Amino acid sequence: KIQIFCHQMSILQHNGSSVIAMAGKNCVAIASDTRFGIDAQTIAFDFSKVWQISDKLFVGLPGLLTDSQTFSEKLKFRVNMYRLREEREMSPRVFSNMVASLLYEKRFGPYFVEPLIAGLDDKNEPFISGMDLIGAPVLAKDFVLAGTADEAMFGMAESLWRPDLSPEDLFEVISQTLMSAFDRDAISGWGAVVHVITPDQVITRTLKTRQD
Amino acid sequence: MEALQFFPSSFQPARQAPLETPKQYSWSPYENNGGTTIAIAGKDFAVVAADTRLSYGYSIHTRNASKLCQLTNKAVLATSGMQADQATLHKTLQMRMITYKQTHRKEMSATALAQMLANTLYYKRFFPYYTFNVLGGVDSEGKGCVFSYDAVGSYERTPYSASGTGQTLLMPLLDNQIAKKNQEGKEVTDLTVEEVVRLVKDTLTSAGERDIYTGDFVDIAIITNEGITYEKFELKLD
Repeated sequence: KIQIFCHQMSILQHNGSSVIAMAGKNCVAIASDTRFGIDAQTIAFDFSKVWQISDKLFVGLPGLLTDSQTFSEKLKFRVNMYRLREEREMSPRVFSNMVASLLYEKRFGPYFVEPLIAGLDDKNEPFISGMDLIGAPVLAKDFVLAGTADEAMFGMAESLWRPDLSPEDLFEVISQTLMSAFDRDAISGWGAVVHVITPDQVITRTLKTRQD
Repeated sequence: MEALQFFPSSFQPARQAPLETPKQYSWSPYENNGGTTIAIAGKDFAVVAADTRLSYGYSIHTRNASKLCQLTNKAVLATSGMQADQATLHKTLQMRMITYKQTHRKEMSATALAQMLANTLYYKRFFPYYTFNVLGGVDSEGKGCVFSYDAVGSYERTPYSASGTGQTLLMPLLDNQIAKKNQEGKEVTDLTVEEVVRLVKDTLTSAGERDIYTGDFVDIAIITNEGITYEKFELKLD
């Protein structure tokens, strides 16, 4: 049953989500909360907003979760076709440009997602980028983030991040940033998942968080 | 005109556009002049700090406007929100401090002051002061105290508080660093004055990076049983 509210809530706050990506020394990390909710009702607590595109390329899609799901499937399709035709992996920088183009194609009827891209290129250099829902990209050296707890995450990340973090330190920094931030947001939280991408492997950890 | 009905509809003039829907032009008595305030209570001290930027929309009114008001030698109030209401509120409270001192022959305690501020705010429940207050000081037992308020006087004694445009940026960091939330096996210990002042400087610097309304300078008041000392700290001017 769809509840009708008398005041308009932004569509990007209909489901609630928070995602953050950070760069370290020869590694990147991307993390999201795992709540799936509709307005004030929580439906599931195992819905990660971070999707794996290829071995060392992840994309986080906070916002309207139906678009997050659908848009991730479109992206996987495009990357798979590129791999078949070119017989090589799509680099994160090229992927980021592709995401921006796909979003701008829907300029006057956008996908309600604010993508974050994190990966290592073929020389194992860290790459992160973020963009708004119509594809305006930002290439950052430190961190990118989006979601309903964005201001809270900004405060945490600006204070905790420093350059050249090792994979273990990066994991701690990104986890603390995300958890403390979404604990101050009513519609994000209910668990978290963190992926740390290094040249050798990808380590995925689920965090123990407050379940409210 | 009746003659028009003999013309095919394509030759009929377009129906007159309906009268324009009523537009509501309204003037708001309130405006947000931005800024961030923060207060942290220690074991026997409190630190209250606020940035000094006054904004209006995307412009800056001034880079040097204090949001702090020393009410007694044991309590300092920091107020963000609308500067006009902040100035009036501070003046009103200072007048009431003088009256209290003359009637009771002693300074108001921090807890009494906290209650009085709440009452003053609620008095204007139906045309509120657009102010977001944090009160910091030492109580009559010598322990540090911080009180946080909403615009109409709902208040609570808390170990730390932030308010203003940088509130959402600062509170999670204070949860993490003071209350050690989400950190397994970390004990909540008493912080020293130097640790708290460093934390205040770090948090306000971070807020200044990402909040456009926070910047320029920070006034820091350190309240102990011995008295109140002030520090000024620079932030980015952008």
